[in-house]
Amino acid sequence: MFKIFLTLCIGASLLACSSHLQVSSNRIAIGNSIAGNSSTDSIIKPYRDSMNLSMGKIIALSENDFIVERPSSNLMNWVADAIFIQQTQTIKTKTPIICLLNTGGIRSSLGKGNLTIGDFFKLMPFDNTLVWVEMPIETLAEVGAFVTKTGGEPLSNCTVQNGKIVLNSMPEGCTHFIIITSDYLAYGGDKMDFFKKGKIINETGKLMRDVLIEHAKQQSTLISTNEIRVFK
Amino acid sequence: MNRRKFVRNLSLGTGAIVLSAPSFSQSLFTKKTQKITILHTNDTHSNIDPFPDNHSKFPGMGGVAKRHALIQQIRQEEEHVLLLDSGDIFQGTPYFNLFNGILEMKLMTEMGYDAATMGNHDFDIGLEGFKNAKQHANFPFLCANYDFSETILKGETQRYTLFSKGGLKIGVFGIGVELMGLVPSDKFAKTKYLDPIITANELAKELKNKGCDLIICLSHLGYDYADTSKVSDRKLAKLSCHIDLILGGHSHTFLEKPTIELNQKGLPVLINQVGYAGLYVGRIDIDIQQGMVGRSMKVR
Repeated sequence: MFKIFLTLCIGASLLACSSHLQVSSNRIAIGNSIAGNSSTDSIIKPYRDSMNLSMGKIIALSENDFIVERPSSNLMNWVADAIFIQQTQTIKTKTPIICLLNTGGIRSSLGKGNLTIGDFFKLMPFDNTLVWVEMPIETLAEVGAFVTKTGGEPLSNCTVQNGKIVLNSMPEGCTHFIIITSDYLAYGGDKMDFFKKGKIINETGKLMRDVLIEHAKQQSTLISTNEIRVFK
Repeated sequence: MNRRKFVRNLSLGTGAIVLSAPSFSQSLFTKKTQKITILHTNDTHSNIDPFPDNHSKFPGMGGVAKRHALIQQIRQEEEHVLLLDSGDIFQGTPYFNLFNGILEMKLMTEMGYDAATMGNHDFDIGLEGFKNAKQHANFPFLCANYDFSETILKGETQRYTLFSKGGLKIGVFGIGVELMGLVPSDKFAKTKYLDPIITANELAKELKNKGCDLIICLSHLGYDYADTSKVSDRKLAKLSCHIDLILGGHSHTFLEKPTIELNQKGLPVLINQVGYAGLYVGRIDIDIQQGMVGRSMKVR
């Protein structure tokens, strides 16, 4: 309990009446000792049952804890690789393609053991869709500088070295590269302003979460890759 | 007066703070005390159920059914209670993904929320999604600096609302965070963002002129930023004139007790925020003694 005394002027002007305010505050924890209201719980129950039915389905196994840790971590790598692989496995193009996401967009880690649909909803609660942005090759430095500055973002098919994006393969004479990312980022989220210099060439309409779930199902046991992809 | 020193003094406890006595006898006037209990949440983020018992930081904490039980208990003990929320009601658990915010609105109605403001995540299913969910809310959404007049939310929100509690007039309004760069633009459509500080100050003055005894700002600006160019609750408090209490959100800040800033007139403004996910409910009790003339009052 915290108590303070304040004076606050009330009324239309300074010359009007003032009042004394005595203020006390208390931060109340919603802890285990409180018994829940049963009628409220009965409103929740049908929704909870329905949610558990759709979220409880086991789709894959993880043998490691998958965590988010800058500059690179197994979960950041897994998410970026999943999207890169799922989006490009049937595509043939000479233009180099990378995947770049935001660390803040991965909202939860994945624990060791069975993974449910619900785990992927926690990891990616946002209904973000995937878009392809064609970027001028000159922006490799700007994109790399951004990722260096933030300390690391999920990346696939490239690394960041000396503040610059280094593509895993760069055909001679290419003038552009493609970033697969979320609609949130492509349209200006998280201050990735470099996307303004690019052109959106494909709005896939695919939910990132659905793509991650698809990849997890295909892998069955998640492949953990701890390699560092962002170097100072 | 040095603000830091002032805040430090306040945090020492009640003994350190004394207000100089009114300049003449109170007995000449009718002294009437009213107690208002303000309960508030922020960034509940679709957390309907408690956190799991094996949660590393907050095992078993939160949950709407428990929050409701607590609120009911306080309502039984206190006559004049206001229950307010500072936004980001949506997004964070599959309840939101599956039921599009409807359950959150139903439960806030059940708990008897008096008003709320919109956070950036309350735009996550677009204006239409919010409008659909809002049909299940019987409390007003207060948004003073989002101009929805050219959107489907026209007429769905209001700038402020007035409450009459124990003979006192309480004005409550809502101030939201800049959506550009935070929310995909198709989600907020033609919503116009108005300057939060100018809007808040003008509206607080308007409410003062309407005779409000207490003016509360529900804010989703965020508590404080290292980047001082960003608008925050602390900045708003310092640049304000008539706001008494800022109940904040957005930054998920766990304040153990309210922060005090001095406004443009040198008067204290209280700022509070209670983390996220409905793990805590903030409670602020205000005893207002009416009928005392206090032109010469100062904080010693």
